[in-house]
Amino acid sequence: MPALLQVESCTKRFGGLVANHDVSLVIEPGEIVGLIGPNGAGKTTLFNCISGALHPDEGRIRLQGVDISHSRPERVCRLGIARTWQVVRSFGRMTVLENVICGALRRTNRVGPARARALELIAFTGLAGREDTPAAGLTLADKKRLEITRALATAPRLLLLDEAMSGLTPIETTAAVALVRRIHRELGLAICVVEHVMEVVMPLSHRVVVLDHGEKLTEGPPEEVARDERVVTAYLGDRYRARG
Amino acid sequence: MIWGVAALAALLYPIPFEQTGYVYYETVGFLVLLNAMLGIGWNIIGGWAGQFDFGPNIFFATGAYTAALLAIHFQCNAWLALLGAVVVSVAICAAVTYPITRLRGHYFAIATVAMWMIAQPIGATWELINGSRGLFLPVAPGGGFAHGMLTMEFAGRGKGLGFYYLALLLFALTLLGARAVERSKLGFYFRAVRDDQEGAEGIGIDSRLYKVIARCLMAAIFAAGGVLYGFWALAVFPDQVLEVNWNILPMMAAVVGGLGRLWGPVLGSIILIPISQLMTATLGAGPLAGRGIDLIIYGAVIMLIAGWRPNGLLSLPWERWAARFRGRAAAQPVKS
Repeated sequence: MPALLQVESCTKRFGGLVANHDVSLVIEPGEIVGLIGPNGAGKTTLFNCISGALHPDEGRIRLQGVDISHSRPERVCRLGIARTWQVVRSFGRMTVLENVICGALRRTNRVGPARARALELIAFTGLAGREDTPAAGLTLADKKRLEITRALATAPRLLLLDEAMSGLTPIETTAAVALVRRIHRELGLAICVVEHVMEVVMPLSHRVVVLDHGEKLTEGPPEEVARDERVVTAYLGDRYRARG
Repeated sequence: MIWGVAALAALLYPIPFEQTGYVYYETVGFLVLLNAMLGIGWNIIGGWAGQFDFGPNIFFATGAYTAALLAIHFQCNAWLALLGAVVVSVAICAAVTYPITRLRGHYFAIATVAMWMIAQPIGATWELINGSRGLFLPVAPGGGFAHGMLTMEFAGRGKGLGFYYLALLLFALTLLGARAVERSKLGFYFRAVRDDQEGAEGIGIDSRLYKVIARCLMAAIFAAGGVLYGFWALAVFPDQVLEVNWNILPMMAAVVGGLGRLWGPVLGSIILIPISQLMTATLGAGPLAGRGIDLIIYGAVIMLIAGWRPNGLLSLPWERWAARFRGRAAAQPVKS
């Protein structure tokens, strides 16, 4: 049986800039994978390639064996990958409930059942009570939570979270981590988390993939990766290694 | 209750004018309903799907011409011709809109203007539709009100009344159809594409497809309006059906009334069209005639509304006012 997601030697260039070079990565069903790296390492580019917003110049991306390297985002979503964005993309003039209904309509054509499913998910992610608030009026933490809820409504097999926890206060971050854990435990989804905050991603992930300058530096269990000399260098620079 | 009153008022509106012979006001009512209907159509693409279409009248013209050709060459019944006109306009709309759905914002708007500019010389020179000489619709005189409603052919005095009710019928159908669309998957998807296209695609919405569907729904409504207008005017001329007002008035009705709200274009049309007619009738003649005073005042009214309430008149807190009014009405018996 093929892995849930298989990225095979993916390369993406923007003119002369190589954002991803020969990146390979596998995500198995029910796994939480952390994708980390300093700013500009190519994390979001890889995410965009997986979700269909961009297409790799070289290499293949397969979802359960189906080639999605050149599929448009709506098809990738239909096949079972849902994502959130680093810069929130909620539907500002629609209410929280309407936002989630839009997601749930991926799996049904009737608004009634979509509404019922949306209400369940809103309760699940802790947005209950804010159903009728316009999305533009939410706090950043709630907007990110809404995006996760909307993504879940499309009934994905793999959830891609692009910095779902950055820009939040410590308390909000804790709540967001708890939500990701609960999604994993109760819905049994595979989740890929992009973060550059190590403290968040390390305790959460089963496995961590480190990108630096567009290339995969290393991957492995969080404890191992955190001790890796090259990862420390990538994050903190040579000066710190010299000192430490 | 309030809807019952509104429906009754719409049904009874032309009766006093029919009795007293002021049939001009029946025509004003006809134009209000026609523009309200077109406004609802434009609101689907402009208000819900968020794509500004500045050239919707090409479908108004397509509808009018298709129906006229069917009526002249095939002696087609007006309602059948309307059906044919809607089908042809939607097909053309789908074909010309799909390529421009790659564009966004101003660029989409510019492309629609370009289409309208291309349509003008075609309308003025194409031999099939008789170029600038236009097409004349054959009308069989005689026949009563019921016959007129079935054929859109009214001769003589009953015409104002007949076309008022034809417009009311099409308007009501448009309103109910748009209401159903607003509450369906389409309504949700249109607004999702409007609010964030990438976000919409990320949850599986094919943004280009839904933009095409939105514009095709608009095209169907404009085509039906064009057919009605053609049978009313008894002729289809390129400079009349491609007139810029068929672009601007429905759009302005939607914006003044409340963009993206079902009743917005209806309210906007009820306010704008009578003002425009009144201005033209009173200031367009007499010593000030020909100076465009009527248009200046008309423009000023629109600017005032747009400046004072940019989200349209329906964005006012009507519900709170109604609640306060009801509260006062309920409280009065206690006081006295």
